[in-house]
Amino acid sequence: MEENYLAKWLSNELSPEELKAFEQTEEYQSYAKLKAVSSRLQAPEFDMEGTFAQIKAKTASDSTKVIALKPYKSFLRIAAAIALLMVGAFAYLNFSNESVATEIAETAQLTLPDASEVVLNADSKVIYDEKDWDLQRNIILEGEAFFKVAKGKTFTVSTALGKVQVLGTQFNVEARKDFFEVSCYEGLVSVTFNNTTQKLPAGASLLFIRGKRMERAVSNLEPSWLNRESSFERVPLQFVINELERQFKIDVSLKNVDTEVLFTGSFNNTDLETALKSISTPSKLKFKVSGDNVLFYAEDTP
Amino acid sequence: MENVCEDEVYSTIYNANSKTLFNYIYYKFGNAEKANDAIQDAFVKLWENCQKVAPEKAKSFLYTVANNTYLNVLKAEKVRLKYATNQKEVSHESPEFLMEEKEYQQKLEDALNALPENQRTTFLLNRIDGKKYAEIAEMEGVSIKAIEKRMHLALKELRSKIDGI
Repeated sequence: MEENYLAKWLSNELSPEELKAFEQTEEYQSYAKLKAVSSRLQAPEFDMEGTFAQIKAKTASDSTKVIALKPYKSFLRIAAAIALLMVGAFAYLNFSNESVATEIAETAQLTLPDASEVVLNADSKVIYDEKDWDLQRNIILEGEAFFKVAKGKTFTVSTALGKVQVLGTQFNVEARKDFFEVSCYEGLVSVTFNNTTQKLPAGASLLFIRGKRMERAVSNLEPSWLNRESSFERVPLQFVINELERQFKIDVSLKNVDTEVLFTGSFNNTDLETALKSISTPSKLKFKVSGDNVLFYAEDTP
Repeated sequence: MENVCEDEVYSTIYNANSKTLFNYIYYKFGNAEKANDAIQDAFVKLWENCQKVAPEKAKSFLYTVANNTYLNVLKAEKVRLKYATNQKEVSHESPEFLMEEKEYQQKLEDALNALPENQRTTFLLNRIDGKKYAEIAEMEGVSIKAIEKRMHLALKELRSKIDGI
């Protein structure tokens, strides 16, 4: 049977032969019923006029503003540039660069000028040029972020470790010390690491730990940290602990712990106690918490 | 050259797109009130950017903005959709038949809620709003083939959930 034949059947695109063959199958009756009943489903009421009135009320004040500002447009541009210059002198080397950063245990969301979405994980930072965004979509990333890129010109994420280029898709980039991972959730991305470029399709992830290359499958529709869960697959324990320190305001110390052991599992980013157990139990470690300090130690440590 | 800032053009765009946009967000959220907020936001943003957005681009602008609003509140909500069903066609049937229909609809509703968001949205845009795959592909910003795949998987999953296989 043809690929996606159920979709083709629903839109009457099957050939007469294919249709006949499908009608012979034992599951056909179930699908026919599903088709019939689902065609009678209805969405909830939508008050088109009332909603339009509300929108009009919201835009009424804005529209007068737009008209009033028009004659001063160029003046405003200059004023804005001066304001930016002044801010720039204090804060930035390059005054047109926007930057958004998160602290430990924090995430942030931002919308780029083309409506592309970025969600920043803890202890991460992005820098981009808002003014020239229409000309080139370049963004510098330190740390980890999930990108939902609007269709358009090439969108480039540059990190200290490697570079990712796409046209319009959904992907996650994590660039930490010795750790560079790109996971693609939709479309196709191009990953450059150590001068080698590779195409990464949806459902795949490419990981470099201390330069060592690994490829794996991505089963979820989005990175787990968006749902406040940090997950790992065969990652040295050291990197798991580094992530723990980014998600909670704690200092971790270790005693008799082999940080090269490969860890597979996840921890919750909101509850420290649960997170500590999620790491210690499978690793056969014990932990002690005193204030902001956490000590992991081997179970047989005297 | 037509301009979105003109009231007439703006209303035409609203009339042509608001209902489907509302449904589209509802299928994702499962919350009519939030869906209404999201489309209001989208249309307000369209008005604010009416100089920059050409009328033929307005539709994709609206979907992009509404989608982003959806992404921002995505984590806060557990999807719990309710669908009205058009009962007229079966109302003359026997009580047993109606009972069975009711059970079937409950199963269908549960199965729809359990679907991945993108499959549910595709399925319902086609079944309720009668949207062609090409049109859904445009709304979601993916290929037609990807939409066919979602539809195929949605049908398979719904059938196996309903039949208990």
